[in-house]
Amino acid sequence: MTEEPARVRGLRIALVVTALFDVLALVLFLRATPIVFTVFMFVGQPLFAVAMILLLGAVLADLRAKQLL
Amino acid sequence: MRGRRLAAALAPLLIPAVAMAAVDGVPLPRGWIGTTTDWVRGFGIAFVLLDLALLALAWRNLRRFGLTTSVRGGLFVAVALVPVMVAFLSFAYGLEQSTTVSACGSCHVMTPFVADLQDVKSETLAATHFKNRYILDHQCYTCHSNYGLAGTLRAKFEGLGHVWRYTTGTYDLPIKIASPYPNVRCLGCHGASQKFLGSAGHPKEEMPNLMAGATSCLDCHGPAHPAQQKAALR
Repeated sequence: MTEEPARVRGLRIALVVTALFDVLALVLFLRATPIVFTVFMFVGQPLFAVAMILLLGAVLADLRAKQLL
Repeated sequence: MRGRRLAAALAPLLIPAVAMAAVDGVPLPRGWIGTTTDWVRGFGIAFVLLDLALLALAWRNLRRFGLTTSVRGGLFVAVALVPVMVAFLSFAYGLEQSTTVSACGSCHVMTPFVADLQDVKSETLAATHFKNRYILDHQCYTCHSNYGLAGTLRAKFEGLGHVWRYTTGTYDLPIKIASPYPNVRCLGCHGASQKFLGSAGHPKEEMPNLMAGATSCLDCHGPAHPAQQKAALR
């Protein structure tokens, strides 16, 4: 498997994970109960962190491929 | 140019979102444009919808064009930039909403407490404070959290425990306060008021006991809430 598809796959996962984060945030905005807020804090926020890490990984891989790092 | 495009994309999403967040109940003053919380909610919903659209667009472009420069830019906006705003707004909104009476009342074990609080005929201490608006809003949270940053943090951790016990059903009925109610929470508002200081019920010789918590405010001013039924439903 080449490096390019692996990077693209990581970005696709980041897109899906961010969408899940957005859905949880939307549920919180529409129905802000303590349980929804707790789920958002302990599931939604880590999902966003995962998406950021995947994006950062893709950026670093990109820079390495261009021999800028 | 991009800023204009973003504003144009946000406007149709923001206007209905803010309208959705409008307050109901008491008549509002002329020129009312909503509270900060309403706007945080409105902007939050708008940014979520915008981000979902941007994510769909980024997905499509990634599949169609691969990792081009413009696709990279779109990915950065959809996965990093807009979600940061969503995270900030949703955290602020969730934190604010977790202090409301409706948040406390959303767990049904709290229903009798909230029903009594909002009962204008009730003479309990909580109902008296509520119906006279001695505390303007967030009445449960105001009386059941200590003052200052440490009080807020402790209340949040305790709230997390409440959610866990409620969700897992690991609590006992009737519901009881976890520790004796501290006078400092009453004195934070009443301590410096002339009605409190000049009252015949608070003689000077009793003040040190009241300030130290040796005599509980609730000894004379209770009950804060109605007595709970042991057979209350889970």
